[in-house]
Amino acid sequence: MTAALSLPLRAAIAFLAAAQSIDSLPPRHSPRSVAIDERLAADYSIRLGDTIVIAATPAAVGDTVVVSALVRRSRDPSEVARGAYRIRVHLDQLQRLVGYGDRVERFAVGTDGRTATDSALAAIDAAAFGFRAYSSREIAVESSTTFLVVSRFHRAIGVITIVASAIFLLCIMLLKVDERRRDVAALRLMGISRRTIVRSVVLESALIAVLGSIAGVAIGAIVSAFVNWHYQRVYRTPLTFSLVTAQIVAIAVGLSLGLGIFAGLLAAQRLVRQPPLSLFRR
Amino acid sequence: MTDDGLLVSARDLRRDYPMAGEIVHAVRGVSLDVRSGEYVAIVGPSGCGKSTLLNMLGAIDAPSSGTLTIAGNRVNGLKDREATLFRLRHIGFVFQRFYLMPVLTAMENVELPMAEAGLEKAARRSRARELLTYVGLGERFRHRPTELSGGEQQRVAIARALANKPELLLADEPTGELDARTGAEVIGLFERLNRDGTTLIVVTHDEELASAARRVVHMRDGLIVDEQHR
Amino acid sequence: MILTLARASLVRHRARTLLAILGVAVSAAMLLDMVMLATGMRVSFGSLLLSQGFQIRLAPKGTLPFDTDATIPDASNVVRTLMARPDVVAVSPVLGAQLHVEHGATSVSAAALGTIAAVQGDYKLLIGHAPTRDDEIVANDALLMALGANVGDTLRVAAGFDPQLRTFTGQRTLRAVGRVHFIYLSAGERALAMPLESLQAMEGASRTDRASLFMVRLRAGANVESARSAIEQTVHTVSAISTETAIQQVEQRLSYFRQLAFILGSVSLAVGFLLVTTLVTVSVNERLGEFAVLRAIGVRRTRILEQIMLESAVIMIVGAVAGLGLGLVTARYLNSILAAFPGLPEAISFFLFQPRDAWLSLGLLALCGILAGIYPAWRGASLPIGPTLREEAVA
Repeated sequence: MTAALSLPLRAAIAFLAAAQSIDSLPPRHSPRSVAIDERLAADYSIRLGDTIVIAATPAAVGDTVVVSALVRRSRDPSEVARGAYRIRVHLDQLQRLVGYGDRVERFAVGTDGRTATDSALAAIDAAAFGFRAYSSREIAVESSTTFLVVSRFHRAIGVITIVASAIFLLCIMLLKVDERRRDVAALRLMGISRRTIVRSVVLESALIAVLGSIAGVAIGAIVSAFVNWHYQRVYRTPLTFSLVTAQIVAIAVGLSLGLGIFAGLLAAQRLVRQPPLSLFRR
Repeated sequence: MTDDGLLVSARDLRRDYPMAGEIVHAVRGVSLDVRSGEYVAIVGPSGCGKSTLLNMLGAIDAPSSGTLTIAGNRVNGLKDREATLFRLRHIGFVFQRFYLMPVLTAMENVELPMAEAGLEKAARRSRARELLTYVGLGERFRHRPTELSGGEQQRVAIARALANKPELLLADEPTGELDARTGAEVIGLFERLNRDGTTLIVVTHDEELASAARRVVHMRDGLIVDEQHR
Repeated sequence: MILTLARASLVRHRARTLLAILGVAVSAAMLLDMVMLATGMRVSFGSLLLSQGFQIRLAPKGTLPFDTDATIPDASNVVRTLMARPDVVAVSPVLGAQLHVEHGATSVSAAALGTIAAVQGDYKLLIGHAPTRDDEIVANDALLMALGANVGDTLRVAAGFDPQLRTFTGQRTLRAVGRVHFIYLSAGERALAMPLESLQAMEGASRTDRASLFMVRLRAGANVESARSAIEQTVHTVSAISTETAIQQVEQRLSYFRQLAFILGSVSLAVGFLLVTTLVTVSVNERLGEFAVLRAIGVRRTRILEQIMLESAVIMIVGAVAGLGLGLVTARYLNSILAAFPGLPEAISFFLFQPRDAWLSLGLLALCGILAGIYPAWRGASLPIGPTLREEAVA
């Protein structure tokens, strides 16, 4: 359990030095307060003001406490699939309940800027025994391996999806343009130039690509909203799973427009290269 | 065929269809009898209903009213499946634009109706060869339609129409896409077919083709207005 | 003849046919990958858990095996209690710890497992023998290579390291008597195994007679769920987890991938459907005249439908077979990404190929192809003959 301190560094160290042994604290008679996970509250119908008993083991006597707050999960991806409940207890009470003595697992220290962080790290490592100090950034890098893996996976899926979509788009555009070959043949026989025909087909393809892109963005936004709604409901978390940003929209639209126009150009050029009469005959 | 030798007996055939919000009366009460072995040409200006009449005679199109009997079978009122089977067994159709399957060879195009009728491969191959030789294409079995001239394609189409030994051969402007010389060849072929016993009904603008027929039926505005026998 | 027509039609538009096959192949590959993803983890994890024949695992109450640093007290008594049951044939207690290992000038940290060699199910011996004396250990390749050591070498092993004082605590000199492969560890994870009591002693008073995990092997035919439930009621300090429960819990942790597989698989099918519909529609539209003529000469509507569906089926089948190969390649690549999950046992595959998956993908794709093609095909084969011929003539 963390004891979050937001005091200036010297004051924090002074606090540690002056801490009394846990065993010397006078016993309390009135129930102390705890904060519980809102999931725990929902699943077991616990309300604010209710008293509950907390103990280290099922057989132990434990302490009666009052629920004074409900805590919502943070948007932390590492918490998403974890079903375990969380409660926040006063530090000394938890130490006593689990027989931990005057010990904690870690301290979180707030400092005033990057320079203060670096000097604090050096001072703590030099002054204190039995533990190491790390900046939050170092910890974040270490603990983010899982998300890097998931992120790489997403990127790979994204690339595969883009390649697949490109092939589908090319396929469909080529088919649709090929369908117009008799029209193209008739125009050529009339004397319309290849260039004009290609431009006309490309323009048509571009229009389809634009309309398709707009529809695609709308569908993507709806699906993204649905994905978030679904996963937030399943995992009971406020975490955002899918985000449609301006950059993503720009990439998607750019790709689909580019591919659509390219496919139209390719198909049109294929058609105008052939003798018009052969287009009728096929 | 009926006892009196009638192959085709049409009574008061009508065909109406909607077009652009109006009803078009393409055929407005046509009665026609054709005997077995006859060679009939139906002529008339464009839009007089002659192709529509031919389609009804070929069970391609169902009449709006009237009765039609071909080879003793009541044709009007047939369901699609029955009409298709009827065409397969009793009717051979030749189109103005040949309508051969471009992906098949001449041989395979002629085999097509026989395959549908369930004839075994060896038998239909043999008959296809025989028919193609009959129409003068003995050396062109393996050619695809794109490798044949217009006249040759039409002759393949005629061979295909004869595949299942139909009682009745119908042709819609068979020389319409051909030059005079090739058209004459096809006319000659029709004459030969008729001499060999095939009953022919052709729709045509071609005077040469019409004059080859022994009976000419004139149509105008959906009705038969005149008939000539030669 | 229909076969001939279908084949000839496909060959006639080679570029279009190849492109359609490619499109179907990509769809099939993605679909196969998603089917593999949806089932792979469960199958490979289940195989892994049962690979040594232990059906039940006991972890500290409320935790999953090795999910926390918590340990189970009174380990020897727990073993006695379990062995007294008639349906239990073996119990393997395991204690986990982090040790520092030195060889020459090289010092690394490694995962340590305290086991009983006779019943252990955590490693497979490759060279040498299992450690039976309290001065013996076995190690994996990752540890030996990191230290530059071999079987037979002496290593200095310590339980604690003070970074400020740069000193070790609980140090011992141990000999590596075997090279092993640890079944449940991730690739590249350095690890060693030693007798349980040795590790307990090294870890000090906090670990005396404690274990992190018990693995229980039941006799053949025993009811796993009954045994599990009975054990949990008898031994109050543990949560008893059957293989099935363990799989379910891990699946729940990684349920995201299953859901992703479902969503992407559905998208693949939908896009494949769209592709086939477009392909069949275009193909039919440009042959309306042909179909009308076929019907005019007496070919049944259903025969024409057969031809169109046959063409569609050929593209689907060829595409699906190509997609199978492509899917296996992409699955391998995607699996290599996910294999980097920290702490994931090396033997776990997210994408596990089973022939059943291939059939399922093929079946889904075939169904999709049939549904996609049937309407445009039926429409094309059912147009009225006369008007169609007229329109095609005008066109």
